[in-house]
Amino acid sequence: MATSASTSANVPERRGIPAASFVEDVQVFLSQIGLDVNSALAFLQERLQQYRVVEMKLLAQQRDLQAKIPDIEKCLDVVATLQAKKGTGEALISDFEVSEGIYSRARIEDTDSVCLWLGANVMLEYSREEATALLQKNLENAKASLEVLVADLQFLRDQVTITQVTIARVYNWDVHQRRLQQAATTSSES
Amino acid sequence: MQQAGASVSEVEVTWEDQQNINKFGRLNNRLHELEDEIKIAKETNESLEDASNELILTDEDIVRFQIGEVFAHVPKDEVENRIEQTKEVTEKNLEKLTEEKESIVSQMAELKKILYSKFKDSINLEED
Repeated sequence: MATSASTSANVPERRGIPAASFVEDVQVFLSQIGLDVNSALAFLQERLQQYRVVEMKLLAQQRDLQAKIPDIEKCLDVVATLQAKKGTGEALISDFEVSEGIYSRARIEDTDSVCLWLGANVMLEYSREEATALLQKNLENAKASLEVLVADLQFLRDQVTITQVTIARVYNWDVHQRRLQQAATTSSES
Repeated sequence: MQQAGASVSEVEVTWEDQQNINKFGRLNNRLHELEDEIKIAKETNESLEDASNELILTDEDIVRFQIGEVFAHVPKDEVENRIEQTKEVTEKNLEKLTEEKESIVSQMAELKKILYSKFKDSINLEED
């Protein structure tokens, strides 16, 4: 955790997500971007909105991947079961769903090949070993993508937090400045 | 969701403070995810318990065991073994998740102490 916190400091952007620059001093920051307080707040709010949009997208992708992984594991299970049955020479009888609430019995003879649904209305026949290898590879890819996605989300959430804190600080600095000014004008009037 | 809202009036926010706040936010997110995962793991465990109980009660030799999307006809003994194996895996997983949750809770308590001591009222780290 500590190492990832320090890397987010050095990375200017990550996979298209711009990093929120940390503000050391509010006054310096405002003069650097050359905006007055209200424009700066508007700019930061807009940045926050953009981050939220990207966050929604990443969360949706994460949900998809998290649903895909158990599916692939189930397929691997079935292929492994067929593999185990091969030795015994007896057929595997199974009940499968034809439609909601309606099941039919199937007799699966000892066979060396399985068909895999690849998506886009395509189904290919593979030998058991090839099928296991393919499913295994898909599973690993899915898990790796999920890891990258989770890291992206963490980075994004950090930027959101930094931006929120910056907004609060700019606002407070402004309130502070106004108070100082008011104190200065009242003391000069009195 | 818990917001680490920082309304700093006089106290300056250093980069280290920002990193602590970020870390707290990350831990909090992970905590919520873990709580969901633990709930699911507990439910799976219960289902497996129910299944093995049903198995003891049934007098059939061939049980329809769900593998993937289909129900395969499997002899009762093999089903018992499979359920035992799956139960072990789920229990280990549940242990791991609970450990991670405890570690996160203690890390968050540490961070709360650090951040509250510096910012006192200017920061809110509670669940809203």
